[in-house]
Amino acid sequence: MSTIELKGVSKEFRISRDKRVMALSAMDLSIREGEFVALLGPSGCGKSTILHLVAGLDEPSTGAVLVDGLPPAQLQAKQQLGIAFQEHALLPWRTVEGNLELPFQIAGREPDRKQIADLIELVGLKGFETARPSQLSGGMRQRVSIARALCLSPKLLLLDEPFGALDAVTRRFMNLELQRIWQEKQITTILVTHTVEEAIFLADRVLVMSGRPGRVIRELQVPFARPRNVETMRREEFHHLVDDLTLCLEP
Amino acid sequence: MRENGSRYGGLERMLYQVCGFILLLALWQIAGKSGIGGKTLPALTDVLRVYGVSWRRALLLRAAVATTTSAGLGLLLGATLGCITAITAKRIPALAPGLNRLAVVVNALPAIALGPVLIITAGRQATPALLAAIPVFFLIYVAGSSGLSSADGRLEQYFKASGASWWKRFVYLDSISALPALLNGMKLAVTTAMIGAVVGEWFGAPTGLGIVILNTMQNFQIPLMWAAVIVVAGISLTGYGVLGIVERAVQRRMA
Repeated sequence: MSTIELKGVSKEFRISRDKRVMALSAMDLSIREGEFVALLGPSGCGKSTILHLVAGLDEPSTGAVLVDGLPPAQLQAKQQLGIAFQEHALLPWRTVEGNLELPFQIAGREPDRKQIADLIELVGLKGFETARPSQLSGGMRQRVSIARALCLSPKLLLLDEPFGALDAVTRRFMNLELQRIWQEKQITTILVTHTVEEAIFLADRVLVMSGRPGRVIRELQVPFARPRNVETMRREEFHHLVDDLTLCLEP
Repeated sequence: MRENGSRYGGLERMLYQVCGFILLLALWQIAGKSGIGGKTLPALTDVLRVYGVSWRRALLLRAAVATTTSAGLGLLLGATLGCITAITAKRIPALAPGLNRLAVVVNALPAIALGPVLIITAGRQATPALLAAIPVFFLIYVAGSSGLSSADGRLEQYFKASGASWWKRFVYLDSISALPALLNGMKLAVTTAMIGAVVGEWFGAPTGLGIVILNTMQNFQIPLMWAAVIVVAGISLTGYGVLGIVERAVQRRMA
């Protein structure tokens, strides 16, 4: 498990010779070990930028990002980072099983058959071990993505709109599934999303962001105990919170 | 339904191609028989008759084996060097501009000018394969370079976030992503390798289809010359077709 610390982080992107965009400005954020934090906001608010900075895919313009007191590159090098993107990013020429072997191969380890089989079962894909991504539905591919992110028992799980490309029904179902999966692992997790229900249902803490430059405009400690289920989504308090944050997102 | 439609469309397209091909052959036959094309354009049937004569068939077969061997060796050599150079440019990006220029220069050397030099330095036997290797090298270097940087952006991000080394990324992502572009390059390289081998033989190889073409031209054995030209085209197109099938199979697998 990991703690994450962002201190005065800003990120500027250069669009052209004399045009710059401030994606993040003076961002402070600290995430506890084993905490599930959702970054909620419209597209272009810098929430994915935070995720990329924590993943070590980008460098901050100013400030520091620390994971367990170290720069993310070190976590990256130790293969302790599990990441899943909006688009599945699976190897199209490999089967489900083959895709789950990839993290082991990248880490230079012998693929753990037992763990791969367990993960396939955990994400509910038993019977699809030999299917290739093109033969799976969007929801199933995201399950593979999440299973792959969990392969090396990472200390930190980063989910970049993992269900953003799915339809509303599948998405709701995947939320329930992710809640169940997370309940078993309880890894420090950052979820980037633009769906209010998803953020409240899954996270311990929701950070609402607004864009240009990206900053946190609201912080919500989610009051629901775990495990959460369909009943949680039906509670009046849940709907109140959803309405509340939705209003907060309106420009 | 749409599937049926597209399959029908494919059949229709093939029918047009076959018809066009037959029409072309028929025109050739008519032009040859009527003498419109002059003495150097024999009728198709006269050319085909060459394949019926056993000693000529044996001559063409021997020559075809020699030329195909040269082209094959050239293909292998050019493709290997092209791949190695493309991988080097990918591994050490600082070298890429220089290697690009080198590849362009090598490709710009005209075979006609290079032939005599190779005859003196590498010998008559090796010249066809070497002249075949040069354009192949260029094609495969270009195809390989673009193929090696064609990996999906999200997959690249995944590999980076997973802490993959350059080598792991090359083995599990870049090399496989490069296959479709590489096979497309190989498909084109087969035909250029044949051309290179035939031209290389003109500078005095002991045997080969290029030699047959050259000799028959000088001795005015026109039908035999055409028969040899058809064999060259046939080998090129067969190689092109086979690699096209492999390319499609790989593309399907990678979709």
